[in-house]
Amino acid sequence: MVLRSIASRLAVWVLAGTLLVVVAGGLLLFRVVRQQILEQTHRESAVLAGDVSHRIQHRLDKVADTAQMLAALIGPRPDDAEPLIRDALAHNADLDGLAAAYVPASIDARAPVRSPFVSRHLDGSLSVRDLLKDPAPYWTQAWFATGLACATGCWQQPFFSQSRQRRLVNYSAAIEAGGRPVGVLNADVTLEWLQGVLQALNKPRDTEAFVIDQQGVYLAVEGSALAGQRAQDELIAALRGDPAEPIRHTGLLATHANAPVWIYHAPIDGTHWQFGLVVPEERIYGGVRRTFSVALSVGALALLSLTLLTLVVTRRVLSPLGVLTERAEQVAKGALDFELPRVRRRDEVGRLTHAFDRMRHELADHLAELGRVAREQQRLASELEIAQQIQTALLPGAHFLDARCNNFELHAVLKPARTVGGDLYSYFMLHDQRFYIMVGDVSDKGIPAALFMARAITLAKALAPRAQSPQQLLQLLNQELCRNNDGCMFVSLLCGLLDTATGHFSMASAGHEPPVLWGEGAPQLLEIETGPALGLDDEATYSSRRVRLRPGETLLMYTDGITEATDAELRMYGPERMLDCLGRYAAHGDGDPAGYLLADVEAFAAGHGQADDITVLALRWHHAGADGGASMLELTMPASIEAVFDALARCEEQLAAAGVAQGVRGDVRLVLEELMVNMAEHGRPHTGAARIELRMTLATDAVLVDLHHDGVPFNPLLSPEPLLTGDVADREIDGGLGIHLVRAMASDFSYAHDEEGNHLQLRFILPT
Amino acid sequence: MSFSLHTDGLSPQRATLRLHGRLDAMTFGDFDGGAAPVLEQMGQGGTVVLDLAALDYISSAGLRSIAKIRKLMRAREGHTLLVNPQPQVRKVFEIVKAVPVSDVFSSVEELDVYLDRIQRKVLSGEDEDT
Repeated sequence: MVLRSIASRLAVWVLAGTLLVVVAGGLLLFRVVRQQILEQTHRESAVLAGDVSHRIQHRLDKVADTAQMLAALIGPRPDDAEPLIRDALAHNADLDGLAAAYVPASIDARAPVRSPFVSRHLDGSLSVRDLLKDPAPYWTQAWFATGLACATGCWQQPFFSQSRQRRLVNYSAAIEAGGRPVGVLNADVTLEWLQGVLQALNKPRDTEAFVIDQQGVYLAVEGSALAGQRAQDELIAALRGDPAEPIRHTGLLATHANAPVWIYHAPIDGTHWQFGLVVPEERIYGGVRRTFSVALSVGALALLSLTLLTLVVTRRVLSPLGVLTERAEQVAKGALDFELPRVRRRDEVGRLTHAFDRMRHELADHLAELGRVAREQQRLASELEIAQQIQTALLPGAHFLDARCNNFELHAVLKPARTVGGDLYSYFMLHDQRFYIMVGDVSDKGIPAALFMARAITLAKALAPRAQSPQQLLQLLNQELCRNNDGCMFVSLLCGLLDTATGHFSMASAGHEPPVLWGEGAPQLLEIETGPALGLDDEATYSSRRVRLRPGETLLMYTDGITEATDAELRMYGPERMLDCLGRYAAHGDGDPAGYLLADVEAFAAGHGQADDITVLALRWHHAGADGGASMLELTMPASIEAVFDALARCEEQLAAAGVAQGVRGDVRLVLEELMVNMAEHGRPHTGAARIELRMTLATDAVLVDLHHDGVPFNPLLSPEPLLTGDVADREIDGGLGIHLVRAMASDFSYAHDEEGNHLQLRFILPT
Repeated sequence: MSFSLHTDGLSPQRATLRLHGRLDAMTFGDFDGGAAPVLEQMGQGGTVVLDLAALDYISSAGLRSIAKIRKLMRAREGHTLLVNPQPQVRKVFEIVKAVPVSDVFSSVEELDVYLDRIQRKVLSGEDEDT
């Protein structure tokens, strides 16, 4: 938590960095200083060791001098030996004992009979003893032999005196008589004395001194009971080396059992002994170590202060940043109205504060703009929703069942990719039993397409009554859509016209996908010659194709949203899958083929989503109107009077055989005669002979007749009513009567004309 | 033959044409041809009686033939009377209002009564005139 603030981190890093530098520098300096101090100690201690060694030598020289002088005095006068050495001992406190021992065998005539030995007791009193009377002969002992050989005097080995119970070392000087050694003058000093000499020396505190002989036996060790013991071998070996080289040693003394010490040694002249000055390493380094400890403590305090200072300063400098951070968090929550810290300086923080202030204002403006845009979008969305409702209202229902004679059924589905789309379908019945069906696809998607679709669908409905055929409707629609079409939008349209009585279906395509037809057999595409899409070329013409729907057949129209639907692997649905799907439906499907196909396409494109508007329209021809009785008669004849009357005779026969009432038979005959005679006499086309097709069916309640004639167009419904005066003799003879009769006699009558000619549908209701 | 014509009591004052079968676009020529000599010998103020009892069917072509006869007789100040039209024929006549009701008789007896009355009227008229 604490380390999150920049100030704390900065302080900690400053502290750590400085600490590292100080410690490293301190250690380096410490090593250098320590080395210098060590060298200085070496020099000083070596000098001191030599000096001390001289002072010891001085004390020893006094003993040696006394002994030599006594030997010289006693030599010629052996009888004075005892008082001399007694006096000498009494006056020289350094000595512990003096002896004048003679060689018994070599005692000449002047030789005394005594070998006096004066020793000092612990209480200071002196006692005299004759060595010759000792049980053990001294002249056989090593010290005596050595002393005899030592004309100039020499120090002996230390030994332990049983009689005096102390450790001693003796100096021997030969007593000469007549140029020959006759005895040994022996001066004893105690090792305690030597130790006392060491302790009396004026040497630095904490140092210790020792004297060791040539055999490596301690003669005296200051502050220790090591005297008389043998030193460690490696120390002995080191002491034999160059006195100028200090010796580093561990474990010498009891007080420094395991601490390293430095030993400076110097030979004591006149003896074979060595003097050693022991300086503990701790003493050498102690000073510098203490100094560095103090320095380190001061440094640590300084660093701590520096850290605190850094912390405080940084906090103070960065405190506006903290406020800015809080404000930024407020900004994140959406609050923009707040106080900013006062700008004291034009430093980075000051500039940041200014920038923050600017950002806040711009953000507020931006948010306001964003809100405005959002409201605008909401308005657009609601408008779009209304547009969708309006567009949906432009489309007729999804299911249409021919209520009049159950002849056909229609299923449609339209699924826009966006809210509104450019696909369209429409169907509507004209007053004369003609039923228009169309499916179209406007280029582009979205609102422009939807508007163009609305234009196309309303124009189509408005123009349909004027058009006699699908291709004519496409042509009219195309001319209207080309008008003011600067955006060059276009719509592909498949338009069909169903004769709801007969199942004749003629269609024309403006750049649209071919429809699918199936009945007994497998579904197949119904190839149709197409013209250009509507809205591009105002002089375009369209051709048509005419099929006759059989009962049970279904015609399916669709847009490219079906065939171009893609799945997750970007494969297209394609016409083959569509035909397969419809084949499955045809095999055992029931209900709505459009919904069935759409469900299959949606399952196929589930991984990719719908990219384009989808429209499917399926027309199923039931021909239920003919269910009460199959087609009674189908004839194709040349348009001649004879053929017409043959046909009339056959109709009469069929109707009579079917038990149709006489009156209806007469009506049918009259109407057919009037119409067909008219066709034969007046309807001859320029191209030559015309043909008449007649199809008569008997429904449960009516006789239905379809007439088709490929001659000149003639709509009987449009011919004027004749003027009926009540007497045929009043009028000029013309054809008006026949048409009048037809209109009066047929219960229902419709007429259509297309490029195939005239199509008439008649219906005669049977009396119940 | 779907149509035939018989002539009874041929005289300039009165002739009866008996029509059989269907009078339509196919047969109206036969009718016109058969009626022509009868009409030719008809005098002024004569009466042509068309007996339709055996006429099953008539179409607009037949109507035109009948219209021609009526026009001709009217020009000669004569009458064309129709007797005993069958339902189909009657229906067609009614639809096109082909003939005044007064000129159509449902039976020969009715016609005879009518003709007698006319005759008496004529005779008495002649008496009054003379």
